[in-house]
Amino acid sequence: MKTVLFLILVLVSGCFAGMIHGLANLAIVEPYLDEAIGIENQNLFASGEEVDSPQFWVEYNNYRYWQKGGQILAGAILGTSFGALFGIVFVFSKNVLPGSSNARKAIFLSGIMWFTIYFIPFLKYPANPPTVGDPETVVLRGILYLAFIAISGFGVVGFYQLYKRLQKNKKFVAYLGYAVFMSTVFIIMPQNPDEITAPMDLVNGFRIMSVFAVSIFWIALGIIFGAFWQKFQPDKPVKAEIH
Amino acid sequence: MPSAREITISKSKTPILAIAILAVIFGFGLFTVGYDQGHLFSIVLGQEAFDELWIHELTHDMRHAAGFPCH
Ligand SMILES: [Zn+2]
Repeated sequence: MKTVLFLILVLVSGCFAGMIHGLANLAIVEPYLDEAIGIENQNLFASGEEVDSPQFWVEYNNYRYWQKGGQILAGAILGTSFGALFGIVFVFSKNVLPGSSNARKAIFLSGIMWFTIYFIPFLKYPANPPTVGDPETVVLRGILYLAFIAISGFGVVGFYQLYKRLQKNKKFVAYLGYAVFMSTVFIIMPQNPDEITAPMDLVNGFRIMSVFAVSIFWIALGIIFGAFWQKFQPDKPVKAEIH
Repeated sequence: MPSAREITISKSKTPILAIAILAVIFGFGLFTVGYDQGHLFSIVLGQEAFDELWIHELTHDMRHAAGFPCH
């Protein structure tokens, strides 16, 4: 394995996919964020915490500018980070992933990871726009979300070990085991403690677009990573010329 | 170089160092975008970082859009 080539390939594909995620957010998620923050501002005015003055809007536009522009940078960081995880899992699983080429294996793996460490956790703890969360519970919510992702991720690793040891006609037991395990965790884990006070239309619209954008990220990651791997083949045996 | 011979060195071993580097990058990136509330910049800026929340503002919209709990 060409280590440096491997590292660059992993990080660059994650970074690209992350920037695509950022752009997707700007296009389809941002309108919902603006609407939600608009409601937040109205609440601030109503409670007297802020005054509806030109000065408020100058400050507001200032930080919203940072927040929107930051999407691309934050996408690049988050994408690189999930790309790194993807690279680790790919290295350990590429020999057993289905698919006739590494490009197909990468896309298959991105589908599995999307489902197990994004979509299932999303069903339990769906994304929320601003105005929904209670700042008092943010640490708890953060721990719950991360714990659920970790349980699901390690659950896959664990049941995969079982899958390997089972005979061909009993492999389904591993899938079933994972399904039962995750359903149990799904029921046992505490709910998001926050009450949703924002209009449900807004929250649901936001969630759908958020799922779209994250799905675009995982698809992009699988395709870009697979294409790069196919082209540069960091796992190709090293050839040396001797004169 | 007509007389050059090619030999193949097979190195199929998983690069542990590379895996370790990737694991650190994963943890760091996830923390930055998903959870940082000024901790990272506070190392150089001190308390100001917690008040200004630079990283929080930059990562704020992505944090919501990617499903991380925020506010
Ligand atoms: Zn927020």
